[in-house]
Amino acid sequence: MIRAVGLTKRYGDKLAVDHADFAVEAGTVTGFLGPNGAGKSTTMRMILGLDRPTGGGVTVDGKPYRNLPVPLREVGALLDAKAVHGGRTAYNHLACLAKSNGIPLRRVDEVIGLVGLEQVAKKRSQGFSLGMGQRLGIAAALLGDPGTLLFDEPVNGLDPEGILWVRNLMKSLAAQGRTVFVSSHLMSEMALTADRVIVIGRGRIKADTTMREFIAQNATTHVRVRSPHIGKLRELMVAQGWRTEAAPDDEGAVEVFEVSSEAVGDLAGEHGLWLHELAVVQPSLEEAFMSMTADSVEYHAGALEGSAVGGGEAQR
Amino acid sequence: MTAAPATVPGSGSGSGPRIEGRAGFGNVISSEWMKIRTVRSTFWTLVTLFAGSALITLLICLAAANSYAKDLAAGKPDSADIVLVGLAFVGQIAAYVLGVMAISAEYSTGGIRTTLTAMPRRTEILVAKAILLAVMVFVVGLATAFLCFYLGNIPLRAKDVGVDLSYPGATRGIFGSALYLSGLAVFGLAMGFLLRHTAGAITIGLALIFIIGNLVQLIPGSVGRWLYKVMPGNAGSQVTSFGESNRHPDKAFAPWTGFTVFAIEVVVLLIVGALLFEKRDA
Repeated sequence: MIRAVGLTKRYGDKLAVDHADFAVEAGTVTGFLGPNGAGKSTTMRMILGLDRPTGGGVTVDGKPYRNLPVPLREVGALLDAKAVHGGRTAYNHLACLAKSNGIPLRRVDEVIGLVGLEQVAKKRSQGFSLGMGQRLGIAAALLGDPGTLLFDEPVNGLDPEGILWVRNLMKSLAAQGRTVFVSSHLMSEMALTADRVIVIGRGRIKADTTMREFIAQNATTHVRVRSPHIGKLRELMVAQGWRTEAAPDDEGAVEVFEVSSEAVGDLAGEHGLWLHELAVVQPSLEEAFMSMTADSVEYHAGALEGSAVGGGEAQR
Repeated sequence: MTAAPATVPGSGSGSGPRIEGRAGFGNVISSEWMKIRTVRSTFWTLVTLFAGSALITLLICLAAANSYAKDLAAGKPDSADIVLVGLAFVGQIAAYVLGVMAISAEYSTGGIRTTLTAMPRRTEILVAKAILLAVMVFVVGLATAFLCFYLGNIPLRAKDVGVDLSYPGATRGIFGSALYLSGLAVFGLAMGFLLRHTAGAITIGLALIFIIGNLVQLIPGSVGRWLYKVMPGNAGSQVTSFGESNRHPDKAFAPWTGFTVFAIEVVVLLIVGALLFEKRDA
């Protein structure tokens, strides 16, 4: 159980985290979502006692991180897979960590087996691929068999098999009653893994709810209809006062909002129009996330306008 | 590389982990000792300290044996501590660099965040590193000093001007050299904690010992003389020189006074380093 109360971090005159209140419950995978620069990593570093909050506080099982008697036995964290001394072997890296918390060295062999790094355990980690580094970081997080786990972008650099493995690992850790807190920008991945979501934007907590509720509240279901007479059908739908949009991927299809699929099918039938497709489309976490954070993205990507390229041309 | 099944052996009971006692200073020491031993830079720095100092000592004594014998015959003040001369060059640099690297490498790789997640009681980490470095460099430094003494004496003996351990201050100079190098390593560690940057800490520290330590002589009057005496390299190295009587009190501290001044400087720097380490974000 992680609990933040009024958690605030200020860098100069920029508020990285602004009075964040949230709780991460045991027994669930909680996704931590937010655009780049929203304050995800800063929040995670404050949970782990690496950064000092400017105001408020955060506890793990009721204690500030620095007061945990045996930190690795209570919290395991994967922050940055590359944050290891590359000159040390994977085994030695884990053994150094184990010793600092009095964890027996046989546990090092266990976690190496668990993440599938047996073959490279005696190799120096500077030669590791991103995926192998990620596995080493996960091994370190599991070392103390902790009740709380924090993962910052855990599937970065993993192959599809590795991604599936991490997803199942996180779910099984939560099923064992542990607290699992995962940040990611991969929405499709989070939708498959997380039971709850905490959304942060510009340092503020925007949502702290279940995945299902979050999607339901922030995006709408729509009906997708495809027909050889789509132009005629669309006119009829507009005449009914329904909101329609051309499907982005198919000229012969239209998306209809706030109407049931039955109503759309009946309307087509009444006018003798053929339908080739009629489907209710559930919104994705990505759509819900985009609609919620549209105003709080720190770094907007500008559209690549022709004028910018043209300007360069003109200078020649 | 195959994915292991997604199960977690261990307690896995869902009731959270079992907590046994508290990770104490002994755990921190054994972890930090393993960290120092398991990177190659430690090994190579110590080899450089040992072999480099010995080689330089031998070469300089070979080159200087003739003039040393002539000076001695002419009754000029002797400089018998030439038999430890290599320590003053390679030894000082290697010991200082080793100290800097013990912490700056963690900052440059980002490993410091892993270290502090495992052990958030930061001052314990700093103290453990300081103790381990001091002991390790003292042991290697002492072996090196004896080796230099032996090797440096070979060309001097050939000219019948060998230096015995019974020479005034010789034993003190040998043990003092080990102590001074040990102090320099901790000095480097403190600078590493303050600056968190390998190149910066090495440049500033070596400049302080080798360049600024001499430049302050140019400041006129008693201020310049006092500054010259208290500069860490000048104060600390008094304990490494042979001879007890021919010292000018205006220019240098007595051996143990100088070393005490140096030790106080190192401890103060280490305390400032510890305060900043506790306060700063990692």
